[in-house]
Amino acid sequence: MIFPNEPGLPVSAHDSPDGVDLGRVWTSVATEVWRRHPGWLERTAARVLRSPGLARALVTAPSLLLPWLISTVVVFGAGALITLGPGQPAVWLVAPAVAAVGIAFSYGPGIDPAWELSSSCAVSDRMVLLTRAVAVFALNAVLGLLASVASGAAAALTFGWLLPMTAVSALALAAAVAARSAVVGAGAGVAAWVITVLASQTVSGQLTASVTNAHAYLPYLAVAACCATAVIYAVRPERGLQ
Amino acid sequence: MLRHGRHLRRTPGKGPPVNVELTGIHRSFGKNKAVDGVSLELDTGVFGLLGPNGAGKTSLLRMLATVLPPSSGEIRLLERDPRHPAARREIRRRLGYLPQNLGYYPSFTVVEFIEYFALLKEMPSAAVPKAVAVAVERVDLGAKAKAKLRTLSGGMLRRVGIAQAIVNDPDLLLLDEPTAGLDPEQRVQFRALLRSLGEAATVIVSTHLVEDVGAACTEVALMSAGEVVFRGTPGELTARGAGHGVGDAPLERGYSAVLSAARS
Repeated sequence: MIFPNEPGLPVSAHDSPDGVDLGRVWTSVATEVWRRHPGWLERTAARVLRSPGLARALVTAPSLLLPWLISTVVVFGAGALITLGPGQPAVWLVAPAVAAVGIAFSYGPGIDPAWELSSSCAVSDRMVLLTRAVAVFALNAVLGLLASVASGAAAALTFGWLLPMTAVSALALAAAVAARSAVVGAGAGVAAWVITVLASQTVSGQLTASVTNAHAYLPYLAVAACCATAVIYAVRPERGLQ
Repeated sequence: MLRHGRHLRRTPGKGPPVNVELTGIHRSFGKNKAVDGVSLELDTGVFGLLGPNGAGKTSLLRMLATVLPPSSGEIRLLERDPRHPAARREIRRRLGYLPQNLGYYPSFTVVEFIEYFALLKEMPSAAVPKAVAVAVERVDLGAKAKAKLRTLSGGMLRRVGIAQAIVNDPDLLLLDEPTAGLDPEQRVQFRALLRSLGEAATVIVSTHLVEDVGAACTEVALMSAGEVVFRGTPGELTARGAGHGVGDAPLERGYSAVLSAARS
């Protein structure tokens, strides 16, 4: 390690025979060599969110980005194939469960390796979660609308899909945080969604009733609100999660 | 740096700033009392926190890092009350924290990791690249600046943790077992870094290694069962061991003597 009077300056740097401050020169060189140039998406997000830190956290999403991208591709790929066949919008039945798994693996003590460090930073970890989740849902909404148009299904179906996805994701997150296990959270989310789909089918006789029945929208919102409250309760500072 | 038994508020504008002010801090986890009635006032300098496993050092540091609130008692950091969100956010901007277990993202490079936390600390983005370069150099990781974290040794990861803690030039620096994994030469250099940082900031170092305290700290507290059982200079702790205690070094004898007295 280097411990001169000025940070970052090698001890020998002060002894340049030409009077050149080599330490400062080296720091300038290192700054330029190591500088990361944010992409257009990060720069735009920084302007919109008014926070370079939040923008960086959004585009980085270390534990979420790759699984989410893979999930999105798989869901829409499989959904498109299935929809082209029997004409059932089965993709909407799969997507909420996949989203629940992604959310469960994205946040919380015991899941995010740098949770403790993030919790001591000025940019709130909850704000990071909220921003990432909103970004995922917003992009999935756009993709869902495009898929609806492409497959001939109504755009309302996308709305009917995002609401249950919100509820199932919130449930998975609450279970993951409470149990401090992403696997438990994912299992709870998937199980709850399977039960919902089967129950809806039993009552209405339609496989897709869980995403097409408008009467279910309000209960979905209520479940999402309850689970969000549970998450806030579970990670409140007074609980002192270790 | 440490003012024994004094908890009176200072008149604003008079005397050095009190960066840490703890009054009757308690913290329990269920029936277990992790911290039991700690009161301290600290300004600039390097403050060592010693004690055996389970003494409450980490819980105390986590409270100072605003990660964990106290069950009761008052904390003021950098002359602000961390219970208020705006004040807590300002404290966190000026805080450096190295947790005992540094979690990291394996796919990040050294520079990316330090930059990530510099941005989360809300440093001005224009100042971040230079601050990152300086922090990397201060922990002597220039040769590994572009290496992925998953490729680094434990000692190197610890230095990455130290770098992210000091990247924002903090006024309050909290280091939990910072020398774990460092080799003897790096530990000697790290102590010099501590002394340098302590000239302008309040540096609190929790450690098991008594020799780190003797070499780098201006004040020291010894915790046992959640309580501070000794406060003073390393020299005063050494004096407690004269004719008592066990250990190879005088400071270790002082440590064991105080601990034995506290337990008896």
